[in-house]
Amino acid sequence: MNTRRRHGTRNNEDGVYHGPSLTQPQLLQQADAPLSTSLPLAPPVDLGGASCRDRTTEFQSVLRSLLARQNGIQTSKPALSAVRQRSDFTLMAKRIGRDLSNTFAKLEKLTILAQRKSLFDDKAPEIDELTYIVKQDINSLNKQIAQLQELVRSRSRQNSRHLQTHSNTIVVSLQSKLAAMSNDFRSVLEVRTENLKEQHSRREQFSPAPAHYSPNTSSPLQGNNFNAGNSLLMQDDSKRPGDVSIDMDFRASQQMQLVNEQTSYIQSRADTMQNIETTIVELGSIFQQLAHMVKEQEEVVQRIDAHVEDTQFNVEAAHTEILKYFQSVSANRWLLIKIFLILIIFFIVFVVFLG
Amino acid sequence: MAASVREKQTAALKRMLNLNAPLLKNTAAEPVWKVLVYDRFGQDIISPLLSVKELRDMGVTLHLLLHSDRDPIPDVPAIYFVMPSEENIDRICQDLRNQLHETYYLNFISAISRSKLEDIASAALTANATTQITKVFDQYLNFITLEDDMFILCNQTKEMISYHAINKPDIMDTDMETIMDTIVDSLFCFFVTLGAVPIIRCPRGNAAEMVAVKLDKKLRENLRDARNSLFTGDNMGSGQFSFQRPLFVLVDRNLDLATPLHHTWTYQALIHDVLDFHLNRVNIEEASGTEASPAGARPKKKNKKSYDLTAADKFWQKHKGSPFPEVAESVQEELDTYRAQEDEVKRLKSIMGLEGEDEGAISMLSDNTAKLTSAMSSLPELLEKKRLIDLHTNVATAVLDHIKSRKLDVYFEYEEKLMSKSTLDKSLLDIISDPDAGTPEDKMRLFLIFYITAPMPPSEADVEQYKKALLDAGCDLSPLNYIKQWKAFTKMAATPANYGNSGVKPMGLFSRVMNTGSQFVMEGVKNLVLKQHNLPVTRILDNLMEMKSNPETDDYRYFDPKMLRGNDSSIPRNKNPFQEAIVFVVGGGNYIEYQNLVDYTKARQGKRVFYGCSELFNAAQFLKQLSELGQK
Repeated sequence: MNTRRRHGTRNNEDGVYHGPSLTQPQLLQQADAPLSTSLPLAPPVDLGGASCRDRTTEFQSVLRSLLARQNGIQTSKPALSAVRQRSDFTLMAKRIGRDLSNTFAKLEKLTILAQRKSLFDDKAPEIDELTYIVKQDINSLNKQIAQLQELVRSRSRQNSRHLQTHSNTIVVSLQSKLAAMSNDFRSVLEVRTENLKEQHSRREQFSPAPAHYSPNTSSPLQGNNFNAGNSLLMQDDSKRPGDVSIDMDFRASQQMQLVNEQTSYIQSRADTMQNIETTIVELGSIFQQLAHMVKEQEEVVQRIDAHVEDTQFNVEAAHTEILKYFQSVSANRWLLIKIFLILIIFFIVFVVFLG
Repeated sequence: MAASVREKQTAALKRMLNLNAPLLKNTAAEPVWKVLVYDRFGQDIISPLLSVKELRDMGVTLHLLLHSDRDPIPDVPAIYFVMPSEENIDRICQDLRNQLHETYYLNFISAISRSKLEDIASAALTANATTQITKVFDQYLNFITLEDDMFILCNQTKEMISYHAINKPDIMDTDMETIMDTIVDSLFCFFVTLGAVPIIRCPRGNAAEMVAVKLDKKLRENLRDARNSLFTGDNMGSGQFSFQRPLFVLVDRNLDLATPLHHTWTYQALIHDVLDFHLNRVNIEEASGTEASPAGARPKKKNKKSYDLTAADKFWQKHKGSPFPEVAESVQEELDTYRAQEDEVKRLKSIMGLEGEDEGAISMLSDNTAKLTSAMSSLPELLEKKRLIDLHTNVATAVLDHIKSRKLDVYFEYEEKLMSKSTLDKSLLDIISDPDAGTPEDKMRLFLIFYITAPMPPSEADVEQYKKALLDAGCDLSPLNYIKQWKAFTKMAATPANYGNSGVKPMGLFSRVMNTGSQFVMEGVKNLVLKQHNLPVTRILDNLMEMKSNPETDDYRYFDPKMLRGNDSSIPRNKNPFQEAIVFVVGGGNYIEYQNLVDYTKARQGKRVFYGCSELFNAAQFLKQLSELGQK
């Protein structure tokens, strides 16, 4: 059983590219990779630290030797094309899967952004945009999965039993992945809200101090203030007795500017907050919908030998029922025979008696 | 061996399910759907390790038995996890001809031979499916891991390698060879998965020695073949920072026949003894209600319930080895904590209801949302906890019923005294003639233990007396014949197994173990406390691991597959005590020994012990095998 390996002469044999060994993790065998092109080689001890042995190369060498033997005997039939016609179900499922993974990536980026807590580098518009995009994606995925489910249901009659289970399982797992993702999205939004609140409170802490000093240098800070309008005005009120009207004009114009900026900023902040809340509510409804769908088709956590025992039990129960029925039927038969005999006897007696 | 065997086997299975590519941690990867096809061996291996949910997470949409009718499922790869036997290979070739799937990943549980590989290749050629077979792998996973540190060989064909099969008097050489080969193959797979080459020690003159010789040869061959070896290169480097090699102790069941018959008092062993416990799954029959069955019609339906006792169940992991009264108390405690948490959630709900009436500001709403979210997220945990508590309550109640009806505590106490050779307060005859203390099997077990552990065989008259009493109780006496023979054999060997000093202290005759309101009213059941003692297997392991010199174990053979010359000197080269050990019992094992080994390991820091056996039987099954042997 120990095959001898011929090292070093294996590259580019038969025009097939034998790439780097499969110990590198990039090569994920995907089902839709065209199989007719590359049949990768693998060294005997494979997959770094694995406890299994790859016999694919041995298998292929056996195939080649058999083919060589057969070629002399019969003409080779055309090989089946490995890239088959895919059903539209599979295509759709694959598309949804790809979209899901893309949205996941976006969600991860959003998570990183939302967790930043610095006061100054707040990438609010980016976060909002990303949130919007992710929300749209989740909605569209939801619709796509609903369509897929419709497709599966409409095909249920012409599909075989196993194919039906297979399709249903795919739909369910896509739904649960989407549910997990919307859950993550929701928690990211919550984190974001928390952070906004924190920023708000921290700015409130910082804002009284700089407002006392130079208005010029404090304007960038104030420009970022969330609710600073109130505090500024209040402080100005408190300072008013000590101020001269010369300053007043200067400050008034500045204040007008600042107030304008602040109100527009406050407005945008309020909008963001509202946005987040509506998103949370919408997500909640989607989530509920998904949970409902998942629950419909969810199986109890079980092991793979559960069904066998179930069916065995059912078969035994059915067997006992059949036995009982058989007994009753045969019992009936005996009864019938007895009754028949008795009737015959009476008939004979009657006839004899009469006759 | 930082990772346990279970983790290694699970990792190997997951890698296989990932189409034989190493697992990435990337959750954003596109899902790949696949179909898993297995035979009964594969089913037994996978079912304790991966639940259906975990399979689904890995993208497996369908899992089917190899020999069932399968419909063609296009567009997806199929992963086969089967043993390389004739019928399986035929079925695979048939599948190839019927073109059931798009691509095939064939994983064989143990190594497939060259000729069978050629069979598959020729079938693939005739079916024009050569491009569809993407990968062929030997997985070397031909053993079943039940716990982190316990494994058994196989479940499906265990009659072939049972104690009965190995020890029957009319066994043929060829049969013995096949049995040995099966055992050695599985052990080899175990060591490949573990990634370590052990030092083997075994006693002389029985089945264990034969297994050791063969295993040594197989390991040696594999190590010699440098290019194809499974033990070199990355295998050794991955996470194995211990430079010590593990110790592999092979013992035979004949060393100690009393332990499988022993009545036990720890939770897991009790479940195995009393209920139907199989591959970490308990099946309990609950007779349903008390409706009068109408005449001549259907019998009462019994509800069969099965529960899985898994590694994720924290209560189970903590209390597997605790004595039963402790388990009952802990269930009660868990129930109390659960009720407290449930009340907390209910209180939260009522508070929510009140506060939701004001038109709160945004902050109040978000506070409530936060509270609600936390309550909601803890709800699944609570539900899970409740399910586990229910499970353990049912199981413990079932066990308790058995204990009460069969008076197992009496047996346990008596047997402990027998095995430790302390004074007996009741005579054996009394217990045997007691009509409501246990089934005839229990009495037979007690008597056999008495017979085995008696230093001098009892006189003929006594034996006759006992036999009469046993026959009155309805026991089958054939095991006794076999035990007599066995005792005659082992008399020549070393002193009969010394079970060490143990003591069983009943904590008074409690009528209730817990406070009122509990469901576990252990009336009349003694609350026995186990004292630490060492079974023979544990003692042998202790001697070998610590390199102590002891007349029992000095005689053991020593094998080191890594040494150049295969000499079987009994002089161990390694003078240091071992840190890791694997104990394997040829002929069958049980949970009592396992528990004893676990206790031994807990008492010593830094040592790891794995327990394996060729099959796992409880006392009833063992008794059956003994009676078959005695009837020959």
